[in-house]
Amino acid sequence: MTKSKTKVKLLAPAGSMDCVTAAINAGADAIYFGVEQLNMRTRSSGGFSIGDIKEVVRICHASGVKAYLTLNTIMYDHDLRLLQLILKEAREQGIDAVIAADVSVFQQCMALGIPVHVSTQANISNLAAVEFYARFSDLVVLARELTFQQIAHITSEIKRKDIRGVSGEPMQVEIFVHGALCMAVSGKCYLSLHSQWASANRGACVQNCRRPYKVADAETGEELLIDNEYIMSPKDLCTIGILDQVIETGVDVLKIEGRSKGADYVFETTSCYKEAIASIEAGTYTPDKKTVWLNRLNAVYNRGFWEGYYAGHSTGEWTSTPGSSATEKKIYVAKGVKYYGKIGVGEFDIETGSLEQGDIVMLIGNAHGMVKMKLEPLMVNGQPSEKAKKGDKITIPVATKVAPGDKLYKITEANA
Amino acid sequence: MPKLIQYRDKCIGCGICHQLQPAWWRMSKRDGKATLVKGEKKNQTYVREIPLIEEELIRRVVRDCPVHIIKWV
Ligand code: SF4
Repeated sequence: MTKSKTKVKLLAPAGSMDCVTAAINAGADAIYFGVEQLNMRTRSSGGFSIGDIKEVVRICHASGVKAYLTLNTIMYDHDLRLLQLILKEAREQGIDAVIAADVSVFQQCMALGIPVHVSTQANISNLAAVEFYARFSDLVVLARELTFQQIAHITSEIKRKDIRGVSGEPMQVEIFVHGALCMAVSGKCYLSLHSQWASANRGACVQNCRRPYKVADAETGEELLIDNEYIMSPKDLCTIGILDQVIETGVDVLKIEGRSKGADYVFETTSCYKEAIASIEAGTYTPDKKTVWLNRLNAVYNRGFWEGYYAGHSTGEWTSTPGSSATEKKIYVAKGVKYYGKIGVGEFDIETGSLEQGDIVMLIGNAHGMVKMKLEPLMVNGQPSEKAKKGDKITIPVATKVAPGDKLYKITEANA
Repeated sequence: MPKLIQYRDKCIGCGICHQLQPAWWRMSKRDGKATLVKGEKKNQTYVREIPLIEEELIRRVVRDCPVHIIKWV
């Protein structure tokens, strides 16, 4: 295996502040996030507003992590003013790049001197497209439907022809390595618009593809449930087992999908891929490690995994379940009250369900992202205790500061 | 008279309401969201009475807003 010369970077998704922190703690080189309604996750993620740009950029830069702003929906005339407001604020706060697909965004970014990354929504699938977009940007995210050979051809031709981006630096290439796939060529799906006027291209996708369908005989009305069940719902992309081949294609940035997922997903996916990249660079990428990573990735949100189109598979890797196949499930139990810093103890109010000493719990909060721990020892209403239930106040040793509003979840096996 | 209600802060600015009935909805140049024309504003909620004769259109706009922030009572 040849080692890549320049270090490949890892880009993690963040749909909320706790995810930003989780991504940074897990070792992301950069994060991407969207604000207001001009990004592809307006329906599903809690959403940041313009006012949050400052804090996200500040947190990232304090840790030497880059912050990219996603503005990749189709744009209408009535959006242009908002776009301008967002971009002005982003520039003011020192955003590192904007991820865009519409030329109106390229134009405004160029006028403001903000670097542009061309979104996967532009479906870049060939070298000529890369050359074209090099006039406006320094990095392109390729379509998710290419093969390793196609990607390697693009990256090697960029080097051979010395294709440079608008900044004068060699054009960089980014591809997705993990997360949800679209049943249509990314960004070109109209199912949701067709069925419910909900435009996927405005981030309002209702995910018709993730449901089971029947076919009906138009003459007799007889219905068949399609035996493959979720025939339009692709499994999630997971390249942890073939990441050496991914890196060998010569790409510069590896991107994880999931701005609508939780901090646990962001932390686990980012840290697994970070470790895998380091192992490949150190020449210690072994099957045993792959198994461990795969188990960890399986524990958080997923629809089952396949290696996507990269290895040249035909379509047909459809999921067999309606939602996540994650092996672990998190159940909300308690909210954070305060932290006793001197003794390293956090106080929580149990709002629902119960906890037992020895339970594995997950703490999610803006300041620390995601932290997993074992409940040991457990103090209930000031007394050592084995169990705690709704209404109880518990105190437990926690390594990071607990803030009011932090959430404590119990981790169980998904089918327990 | 029925009342049309828009919970505006969650609007994604897709413009469908405006296309269905431009007389009721204006796309704001300021923040790209739809605004209920002549709506009475309480925080981010806009309310406006619409004659019952328009029921079909009301139902349509309530049904078609992709993020379901338009209601009627
Ligand atoms: S249809 Fe709904 S989401 Fe779309 S512009 Fe109108 S109010 Fe906003």
